[in-house]
Amino acid sequence: MSTLQKLREAFRTALDLPADAPVDDLQYQDNEKWDSLAHMSLIATLEDEFEVMIDTDDVINMSSFQEAIKILGKYGVDISE
Amino acid sequence: MNLLHPGARVIDAATGQTMTPADVSTAASELEKEPGAVVFHPISTTISDIARYLAALRLGRPVVLLDPDGDNAHWAERFATDDVHPDLALLLTTSGSTGNPKLVRLSADAVLANAGQIADVLDITADDVAITTLPLFYSYGMSVLNSHLLRGATVILERTGIMQRDFWTAAVEHNVTSMAFVPYQYEMLRRLRFDPAKYPALRKLTQAGGRLRSDLISDFAQRMATVEGSFYVMYGQTEAAPRMATLPPARLEEKLGSVGLALPGAHFSLSPEGEVLYHGPNVMMGYADTAADLAKGDEQGGVLHTGDLGRIDDDGYLFITGRIKRMGKVFGVRINLDDVEKHFPVTAVAGEDKLNVFALGATDDEVRDLRTKISEWLGTHFSGVVVRSIESLPLLPNGKVDYRALESSL
Repeated sequence: MSTLQKLREAFRTALDLPADAPVDDLQYQDNEKWDSLAHMSLIATLEDEFEVMIDTDDVINMSSFQEAIKILGKYGVDISE
Repeated sequence: MNLLHPGARVIDAATGQTMTPADVSTAASELEKEPGAVVFHPISTTISDIARYLAALRLGRPVVLLDPDGDNAHWAERFATDDVHPDLALLLTTSGSTGNPKLVRLSADAVLANAGQIADVLDITADDVAITTLPLFYSYGMSVLNSHLLRGATVILERTGIMQRDFWTAAVEHNVTSMAFVPYQYEMLRRLRFDPAKYPALRKLTQAGGRLRSDLISDFAQRMATVEGSFYVMYGQTEAAPRMATLPPARLEEKLGSVGLALPGAHFSLSPEGEVLYHGPNVMMGYADTAADLAKGDEQGGVLHTGDLGRIDDDGYLFITGRIKRMGKVFGVRINLDDVEKHFPVTAVAGEDKLNVFALGATDDEVRDLRTKISEWLGTHFSGVVVRSIESLPLLPNGKVDYRALESSL
């Protein structure tokens, strides 16, 4: 599985979305399932999946799927097909 | 009832808009055109929804605060009526232990009394600035709004929550002095390595909505002490509008584990069975199961049977030791489900003369091991204990475990 697929899976799991739900354009405020509890779960999933420890500033800055790609890039995780 | 002190301010952090007296007047004239006595109000954290809430209170129209993301049609079907008791001001939903959810009937006097009691013990003044951290249909969120509006303080409306940058930016920009959180949010704040020094005006953290682990209470009390701020442990129930007790920060370490002293003008007692009874001006009028119940007067006489088990020490500090209704039976023997949860890393519910526990992400071996240990601890046969592995626990909107959902999954 590519890192992009893994990231999409992590979002669907944390936000309890169907397996084929599009997630690439997700924004924190636009999705009612993406609340603070789901965000905690998402961060934990990303840390496990990509074996990183995400800093506080990055946790609260992760406000969209595209932002998650940028932030993971800072930790040396290249998200690609 | 008028909760709104003339100096109070409500500011939307995202738009910069400030609520004006005209907002409330406009909401009031709209309400006057609407038929029926009861106002069913799905309340979002916005100026217009707060104006509508305040307008209903001002007009003496009983207002039901509802979850804006919920399925609310059934409330109006069950409770629409023109025949309401003149004292009735506010109705909040409660899950109840069985059957249909019901409404808690609160009088204007009870709501005003509790807002004043809270403002007194938290020393809320016109200089205070609170920020929304909880939904307003939830009694804790509502009480933060009420107590600050009453004393002419400022309330900042923020909708993204503590896991997002916007919340913390608003806290700095608006010089927020006070934040209110429930236990799961304190777990999040610890994960975020919350540092009060980053928010120079912050002086007060409050906690309610269930028991917070003692180590986190000490942890956050110490964090607040570094900025000469205070951490308040509080205790309440929707049925008390909702606050009943606070633990004075100066006694927090000495009385760790206590929910504190009864609010001014109130006191606790214990029933012969050890149930905590609260006596105060903020106790509800009673429950409502049907529209006809909204015409009823006070059925409580200022006394609330909390359903909690507790003890009161010589200084008057209340310690909650369990929940009467959180009892189960295994082979006819009463078991305190809270005790099971304290001794084992599980969530416990009753059913079918068995103890049913859920263990997060447990392997088959861990499930067997838990069953053995719990049944040994209870002194009962292992067939009375059912252990299930679960991926995640169902939660209520306020972050507490949804025990009814767990029970219905059995």
